[in-house]
Amino acid sequence: MESLLQETLSLKTFAFFLLIGVTTLAIVLGFVTYAIYFERKVIGWMQFRIGPNRVGPLGLLQSVADVTKLLMKEDTIPNEADRTLFKLAPVIVYVPAFSVLATFPFTETLYLADLNIGLLYYIAISGISTLGIVVGGWASNNKYSLLGGMRSAAQMISYEVPLVTSVVGVILLTGSLNLHDIVTNQGDNIWEWNLFPQIIGFIVFTIAAISELNRTPFDLPEAESELVAGYHVEYSGFRFAFFMLAEYVYVFAIASLATILFLGGWYPPLAMLDFIPGIVWFLLKFTAIVFFLFWIRATLPRIRVDQLMGLGWRVLLPLALFNIFLTAIVEFVLR
Amino acid sequence: MIRTEELLLNVGPQHPSTHGVFRIIVKLDGEVITEATPVMGYLHRGTEKLAENLTYTQIIPYTDRMDYVAAMTNNYVICNAVETLMGLEIPERAQYLRLIVMELQRIASHMLWWGTYLLDIGAMSPFLFAFRDREMIINMFNELCGARLTYNYMRIGGVKWDAPDGWIDKVRDYVKYMKEKLNQYHDLVTGNEIFLARIKGIGAYDGKTAIEYGLSGANLRGSGVQWDLRKNQPYCIYDRFEFDVPVGKNGDCFDRYNVRMEEIRQSLRILEQAVEQVPEGETMGKVPRVLRVPEGEAYSRIESPRGEIGCYIVSRGKDKPFRLKFRRPSFVNLQILPKLLVGENMTNLITILGGIDIVVGEVDC
Amino acid sequence: MKGIVKGLGVTLKSMVEKKITYAYPDVPLEMPDRFRGIQHFDPEKCIVCNQCARICPTDCITLTGKPNPDPEKKGKVIDTYDINFEICILCDLCTEVCPTEAIVMTNNFELSTYSRDELFKNLQWLNDNNTNIRKENNSAMDKGGAK
Ligand code: SF4
Ligand code: SF4
Repeated sequence: MESLLQETLSLKTFAFFLLIGVTTLAIVLGFVTYAIYFERKVIGWMQFRIGPNRVGPLGLLQSVADVTKLLMKEDTIPNEADRTLFKLAPVIVYVPAFSVLATFPFTETLYLADLNIGLLYYIAISGISTLGIVVGGWASNNKYSLLGGMRSAAQMISYEVPLVTSVVGVILLTGSLNLHDIVTNQGDNIWEWNLFPQIIGFIVFTIAAISELNRTPFDLPEAESELVAGYHVEYSGFRFAFFMLAEYVYVFAIASLATILFLGGWYPPLAMLDFIPGIVWFLLKFTAIVFFLFWIRATLPRIRVDQLMGLGWRVLLPLALFNIFLTAIVEFVLR
Repeated sequence: MIRTEELLLNVGPQHPSTHGVFRIIVKLDGEVITEATPVMGYLHRGTEKLAENLTYTQIIPYTDRMDYVAAMTNNYVICNAVETLMGLEIPERAQYLRLIVMELQRIASHMLWWGTYLLDIGAMSPFLFAFRDREMIINMFNELCGARLTYNYMRIGGVKWDAPDGWIDKVRDYVKYMKEKLNQYHDLVTGNEIFLARIKGIGAYDGKTAIEYGLSGANLRGSGVQWDLRKNQPYCIYDRFEFDVPVGKNGDCFDRYNVRMEEIRQSLRILEQAVEQVPEGETMGKVPRVLRVPEGEAYSRIESPRGEIGCYIVSRGKDKPFRLKFRRPSFVNLQILPKLLVGENMTNLITILGGIDIVVGEVDC
Repeated sequence: MKGIVKGLGVTLKSMVEKKITYAYPDVPLEMPDRFRGIQHFDPEKCIVCNQCARICPTDCITLTGKPNPDPEKKGKVIDTYDINFEICILCDLCTEVCPTEAIVMTNNFELSTYSRDELFKNLQWLNDNNTNIRKENNSAMDKGGAK
């Protein structure tokens, strides 16, 4: 992979890249399908319901059916909408969501691109999605979606800051922005993970990440009870599917990122457990984080927009900054 | 200073949080409301006018459809008005059954409010928690009178059905069960910091304002006014039971929330005492074959889950009312909404509207 | 934070609690005996007294009688009997006043169709709707009681 990336682009390498891209897309789509299924099941169980069980055995094909339905739906564009931007918005949202996956190392050997600035790449690219949401909200020419889009812009920008500052501690510990190095710098035992030295960073990261994902309790842009559906009010069919897809791909991305940055990536929690392959550990940690997101969603009410801003700027940001100083000082003293 | 244009936003009639077809036109400056005008009447069916052409027994099913989440209290208010006018004697057992169903109804109604309110605020699970337990009440009602929502259970002079075998015991078990579950509700929601931040201090008004606007029910008691018709002007047989009237202090959404939650507990307390005392006997009083209500006027008012519901009857001695008027608490309570909304942001609109607890069927009648 | 953690505990615990979903279309819903479903009508018992049509709050019963074909007997027999289920509110009043229990409630409730016209049920249909008939029909009310 590494050497291929260095070569000049030929037809052969292009075909190879395309193949890898399509495979990743398929894996991600598979994840999204079952994440939605899993989410509905878990939330169902927490609410004394069974969850989807009609399509396919145990309802396993429910999401497939839903997606098929979305694809077959009429694609409506409101008359007064800005047609070009309206069509462009889902693309702007989805493409970055998919491209950020390139730098994640899932195990020692399983990764696509070993980028020197992997973490920075993630943060930079994922910021673009916000644009898509604002554009979509504006282009729909609907007051609810406009409000949703605006909220979303405000929210994403305010939470990007604590999100970035919260991981600076990890960068300081590792001395690298490379995600692969960040994992290898952690160790085979739970106490060697970044989780404990960076506990403040981890908490800030989790909260900011949930907010970045627009999930409960920070799902203001699509606050159903106030803004009907927020920025995607006017979207239907395929375009709507792209917004949903992007949302779940970000769940995938954030859960992977948290695993990599704080939970020791593919390392087992105890050194003697390392006969179990790394990918299993990775998936376990990953699933735990995804489950946590669903669990939160089943429990918490939504926060208010001004409180959201307050929390972001007045609590999370100072905490994250404090974390940076603390880490820096401790690092300095230890050296 | 930058001046931005005001945004005119039409919230409703199709909107997930207006609880039916209710509409508010709000002017927004950014996300802050500068003016709010409620528009109602989408569900108007003219119950009062229709009633003029119906016999008294026929009106009862129509009252079911006014406040459809608390049909039993509506049944009672019209029966009570007619009975007062006719001077009818209600058998003891019927009185107890009426009281039990009304209190169960209050619990069911408050639970529905609790679930949907939390849904408005963005939490999904409480809704299903509430509906799980409300379903049991609904099932009990179904056993008692054969319907799940529009009961048409009470008749002038008594109730239609006697309780089936073992029904009273079911109520007894339910009270025990519910007491436990109520704590679960509090664990799930009441302590939640996000929830508290959302509703504390929102939509506050003092007791004087509340009285000036004619509010009743939890909206009034939340502002610290001790006024509950079950205590202040006992009807049915409420004077035989021991219960407290919870009141709030600050008159904000949180106090209203607390008052309602506490009322569930008090209702359970009343039920606990009532099921032990239910006497045997008739469930239907001596009622003439054709109900002719003597000439005169009567106003009966009771405490429905939403506030003071009243029924004013003018009779000209026929079997049909000459004029009938319902004082619907939801309608009256709604009047304070425009005042509360000014200066709040869009999110609080939902919190405040939900906190008033309206049922659109009753607002529009 | 304490409140949030408590709440999370409640939802986690409820994951293993009993599920409350009804398996409705797969398993038919058992309604209690008193359930007010679609009426069953027995033309043999009807004495064409018109009480049900008069008490109906929504005026959804239309009936006509004809003279008894048997010249020996007095009175009328029922000729047509229709209930319009578009507006019937299943309020139980018609079955309450019927002196002969010619019209009684059943526990059937599945009325949904694709066309409104099909909701107009005639004598034959109501007569055929003879399953799950309510056992106890008028408990507290004496016949033709309050009106
Ligand atoms: S149930 Fe009520 S509405 Fe229906 S036919 Fe009988 S009296 Fe009329
Ligand atoms: S009340 Fe009974 S007997 Fe009289 S007309 Fe109606 S169905 Fe026939």
